[in-house]
Amino acid sequence: MLDLFEKIAEAAKAIRGQWNKTPHAGIILGTGLGSLVAEIDVEATLDYADIPHFPQSTAVSHAGRLICGTLDGLPVMAMEGRMHMYEGYPLKLITLPVRVMQAMGAELLVVSNACGGMNPTYRCGDIMIIEDQINLMGDNPLIGVNDDRLGPRFPDMCEPYELALVDRALCVARAADIVAHRGVFVAVAGPNLETRAEYRFLRTIGADVVGMSTVPEVLVAVHCGLRCVGFSVITDMCLADALKPANVEEIIAVANEAEPRLTTLVKGVLALEQA
Amino acid sequence: MNSSSILDSQRIQEAYAHVQQRVKQTPRVALILGTGLGQFADRIENPVAISYADIPHFPHSSAPDHKGQLVSGSIKGVPLIAMQGRFHLYEGHPINDVILPVHVMRQLGADILIVSNASGGVNTKLSGGDILVINSHINLTFRVNPQLAALTQTRNDTKSPIYDPQLIEDAMETGRRAGFYLQQGCYVALTGPNYETRSEYRMVRKIGGDVVGMSTVPEVLVAHALGMRVLALSAVTNVAKPDALVETTAEGVIDIAQLAEPKLNAIVMTIVDNINRK
Repeated sequence: MLDLFEKIAEAAKAIRGQWNKTPHAGIILGTGLGSLVAEIDVEATLDYADIPHFPQSTAVSHAGRLICGTLDGLPVMAMEGRMHMYEGYPLKLITLPVRVMQAMGAELLVVSNACGGMNPTYRCGDIMIIEDQINLMGDNPLIGVNDDRLGPRFPDMCEPYELALVDRALCVARAADIVAHRGVFVAVAGPNLETRAEYRFLRTIGADVVGMSTVPEVLVAVHCGLRCVGFSVITDMCLADALKPANVEEIIAVANEAEPRLTTLVKGVLALEQA
Repeated sequence: MNSSSILDSQRIQEAYAHVQQRVKQTPRVALILGTGLGQFADRIENPVAISYADIPHFPHSSAPDHKGQLVSGSIKGVPLIAMQGRFHLYEGHPINDVILPVHVMRQLGADILIVSNASGGVNTKLSGGDILVINSHINLTFRVNPQLAALTQTRNDTKSPIYDPQLIEDAMETGRRAGFYLQQGCYVALTGPNYETRSEYRMVRKIGGDVVGMSTVPEVLVAHALGMRVLALSAVTNVAKPDALVETTAEGVIDIAQLAEPKLNAIVMTIVDNINRK
């Protein structure tokens, strides 16, 4: 892990060669945030392949680009194309861009994901503001010799998602008449969807939604001192006693339908960062 | 036997050979001293310290407050060997490295293993500075010791409880006689290294855990498979209140774990006295 420090510096240097602003926020454009790119005044676009040590996506669907620019005047860096543990990428590699964002000067991380809803009061298409997380991925990006220059050996996790930002996101949602919940996200490795027994188990241990991403990035963000705000789009309902086979087309349709609402929430949260 | 297990037995032999030359008496008891409890090693009489760095195949301990040496000697005439500092999965050590010292101490002759650790409590009957006598565990490390099945198959008695009931009784009796609170309970092991989120503390409580920590289970499983009697003691450093935000710091954990050291000492003395009586 000790060579990570140099890798981060090299990646940040390569990005600064193309874009010399200090980002306020780093954004991981997960499911539901694709259209946010259209809102960014793009000043530089870098392929991951051109950034040293960035993960190289082999999947065609994930182009893997870093978009630098301003969103309503706020300097941001946005990751288009995300790697998942179930694709076989090591968590340290998946989370390296988060450390690079922090090294570039970002103080806030914005993440989004698609998830399965287990809380029966949620509905398909709703948005949940992530209040807390449970790591059941069976791995952790912070395992290894700790580099104290990057963060503490045992990062505290009593508030991984800044609760003031959760409240702010809920305020923005109410003002825009968007249904938004606050809840607990549990991450599993996947790639299979859960069995009914697993959904019951995850619900019992206190999770409202389940997904296969986000937790590694947030662990690293907390380790390196970033504030975090996370949004989950409930793309299908996973109620153990009324489970239907997942339909990928429907899930994508739900995610697309949620995009304008999620974009409104993210822009609303970031607008108050500037004030 | 596959090639990796042959390699491992060779590593164990080479580490054992080095330690064995330096150890004067066959130890009866092996100790693993966890966070905040390392200073127990100062109580060992006629100590011989062997740095991990000098032992072939031993990894380096990078955890805070973990010294990184084996200390052999005796207490009240009972020979023992103690690990001052252990290896954790969160340091990135493969599980075979984490359990290597247990193999070595077993091979030296120890038939009792006393493991200690620092943990966060989720059972509200516990307080910081208490010791929980571990009587069961839940392994959420997602790490498998590939040798475990083979070791267990070579034993006739595979159904004995992992945590020795007589040693648990000895520990509980110590608390009653010496006048400090002890309770038995379940240790949930996660890899860490981050401290748990509030939702993770709630999960640990709901699934039946009393405390949560980042060690012990790998060593205990292999010690049991090797036929050792195991006593595991957890120094509770704080009781998590998931409904009230409180930050956990490594320094606070180490300080409070140290409060439990005299209790650990009293329990070890009972076990040593019992060995002397036999």
